[in-house]
Amino acid sequence: MSAAPQTSASGTGQFAQSAAVAKRPLVIALGLIALLLFTGEQLSPGFASLDQILRLLIVAALLGIVAAGQNLVILGGREGIDLSVGGIVSLSAIIAGNVMAGENGGIVPAILACLLAGSFFGLLNGIGVTLLRIPPLVMTLGMLGVLQGLLVVIRQGIPSGRAAPALSEFVSQPVFLGLPGIIWLWLGIGLLMAFLLRRTVFGYRIYAIGSNEHAAYMAGVPVRLIRIALFVLSSMFAAVAGICLLGYSGSSFANVGEQYMLPSIIAVVFGGTPLSGGKGGYTGTMAGAVLLVVLQSILTTINIDESGRQIVFGATLLLLMLFYGRGARMRG
Amino acid sequence: MSKLVLRDVRKAYGATVALANGALELAEGEVHVLIGSNGSGKSTLCKIVAGSVRPDGGEVLLDGQPVTVSGPQASHALGIGIFYQELSLAAHRTVAENISLARLPVKGGLFVDRQRARTIAARYIAPFADVVGAGFSPDAEVGSLRADQRQLVEIMKTLASEAPVLIFDEPTSALDRAQVDRFFEELRRLRGEGRSIVFISHRMDEIFNIGDRVTVIRDGRTVATKTIAETNQAEVIAAMVGENREFAIPATSDEGAATGNELQAPDGAPQSEGESARPVALQVENLTGSGFADVSFSLHEGEILGFGGLHGQGQSAVLRALYGTDTTLSGTISLAGRQSEVSSPRRAIREGFGYVSGDRGRDGVISGRPILENVMPVHFVKSRRPLAVPSRLNEQAIPALSALRTKFATLMHPISSLSGGNQQKVVIARWLIDRPRVLLLDDPTKGIDLSTKTELFALIRELAAEGMAILLYSSEDAELLGNADRILVFNGGAISRELQGAARTRFNLYEAAYSAAERAAS
Repeated sequence: MSAAPQTSASGTGQFAQSAAVAKRPLVIALGLIALLLFTGEQLSPGFASLDQILRLLIVAALLGIVAAGQNLVILGGREGIDLSVGGIVSLSAIIAGNVMAGENGGIVPAILACLLAGSFFGLLNGIGVTLLRIPPLVMTLGMLGVLQGLLVVIRQGIPSGRAAPALSEFVSQPVFLGLPGIIWLWLGIGLLMAFLLRRTVFGYRIYAIGSNEHAAYMAGVPVRLIRIALFVLSSMFAAVAGICLLGYSGSSFANVGEQYMLPSIIAVVFGGTPLSGGKGGYTGTMAGAVLLVVLQSILTTINIDESGRQIVFGATLLLLMLFYGRGARMRG
Repeated sequence: MSKLVLRDVRKAYGATVALANGALELAEGEVHVLIGSNGSGKSTLCKIVAGSVRPDGGEVLLDGQPVTVSGPQASHALGIGIFYQELSLAAHRTVAENISLARLPVKGGLFVDRQRARTIAARYIAPFADVVGAGFSPDAEVGSLRADQRQLVEIMKTLASEAPVLIFDEPTSALDRAQVDRFFEELRRLRGEGRSIVFISHRMDEIFNIGDRVTVIRDGRTVATKTIAETNQAEVIAAMVGENREFAIPATSDEGAATGNELQAPDGAPQSEGESARPVALQVENLTGSGFADVSFSLHEGEILGFGGLHGQGQSAVLRALYGTDTTLSGTISLAGRQSEVSSPRRAIREGFGYVSGDRGRDGVISGRPILENVMPVHFVKSRRPLAVPSRLNEQAIPALSALRTKFATLMHPISSLSGGNQQKVVIARWLIDRPRVLLLDDPTKGIDLSTKTELFALIRELAAEGMAILLYSSEDAELLGNADRILVFNGGAISRELQGAARTRFNLYEAAYSAAERAAS
């Protein structure tokens, strides 16, 4: 049977090309990290010292854990985005600080309480987006407002809470091979995400609903259930980050998590997951998180204040959108 | 004198010739019917007059002068008013604004003069005033109206163009009897004024009711123009089919040549006796839903049951209802003697249904993802395992893809790197890993090249031979005639006729499809 000739050669060429492009964000991010470290070292000797890099990695791990959840929601497509992560981080830090109240014995109950609270608000986000068909941007922004109000109320009633010594040690002191526990935790989350996305049916389905929700539905994918799960996971990752943040700073205060909303999105996009979803992964996001933290550190080194840093971050996101943001115009 | 003349008009989309030799001669003061089967080229002809499609060649003469219709604006300026089959209304604007849209009265150079818009609109609403039904008013938002009311607004809008040439492409599909009658009265009045009207409809009763002359298009060629008074329904259908020598151009196009499919019944012999002996795989009783009513039929194991008829007569709607994407209002669906509730595709898959849509881009292909991920989702539903082990998935995907002779280099290539035909093979391969009891095919070869079509139908017959029950809707009549054991002809959301054995001819199919369907009384 002579079917229409299908040139497998050109097919391979296309694939090789698109694979190279798909890898590019990771390569670019790693290249930029090296460049920034080198620049930082020139500006301020000691910037790229081992101790300093380790400190940067701890900060990057906090951001990276939040970005893991953000990454999942964005991969799921349909304008998926979670603007409430900052509120969850703050809430989780306050809950954890109050439950453990400086005692090691309180760590396990604190973790449980935070995960429970996180999954509750994530569930609300998921239900709002799927069953009530509220756009994720609006739903999670509304949720952020609710959480901020809630934090004000909580703070008037209870003390800010303190981290247990073991938690602080876990976050900032070396526990194994000279690396602090939080870095191992982050690597573990990296492996978990890779496994989830590449070796489970759940992962296949995330990509499926992210690239063609209707076709996925027609092929039997439980679209709503998956999307709800993504929002729950996002809030749970944010809750974990909140606990670690408490360990990092010692005590919790309101709005401590606010600073994570925008960077968590930038890290995902920098890592090669377009805001339209359906492709990309977490490895690039991890590199994106490190890159952002290094960038932030450089800005601090050259005495650019908080408002300046915000401007740089916002402009970075817009530039990223321009280069390889929504959809795949560049790749087409 | 002829108002509008089209001569030797041609249009091809790549290798597909939509119009090979289109011709039309429209006189002043006549209603000229244009008829042809699905894909015969009549819509392309209309689009060329409307300016939305540029012809590859040929001439268009208006009042004897050659004209170039460069776009919709140009056709409007030339005095051609067009009723679009796909409604062109602004859903969030009022009835009055939509009707007067072509010459929207403007106040102070900027604002719409609502009062004058209403006055203009009232003139065109008036003839239909007693048939528009409840909820219709000049100030109603078009989006809030029923389908028949929206169609009436589209008609009024076309009439409001006051163009000397009016083209109506299936203007009556949603209307009830009284509304059609009123519309025809308007057409007769306009004809009396000397307007030239092109009328496209699939309803023979309407054609013979309103038409003065009829032009038949077949396979992209104008084959005949006759006066309605001198012809009859059988003759028109015969011209569409291409079997009547008196009416037709030399019969170069028998069905086989038209599609490349063999036309004889799958096993050559009449099968009806054998079929009824086989167990019933699917029993549908009195199924009613959006777009179809009171549909009943049974499908046996190993049988290919065709759904025929014109586009949009309920065939796809029934298939989607069986697959759980469209809701049904009443009726029962029984699989292998057991009543089943299908509320979602996921549920339908577990019950034993499979579904392949011809609209790959919307319903089938998970674009941008690897071939492997496009083959597996149905298996995931059935296996209920949480882990996806690539090596094991490859083992399952490769035989399914090879059975379809899918051409690919590796399973990790994105599906978008394949040709359209190969993409559809990947989508079909989903159903070859864990085979469904009943496979629903919703115009599965739409937009696919000829050799792939032939391959796919060979596979479909093979699956049936192995015992799978198959429901096949195809917009290409030759595919149905060449592959289905029985054909149910749909007309107006109901089964109007069943064709079996030797009765499966193109003539019978057209006759059942084009005969008057029951129309709701208002």
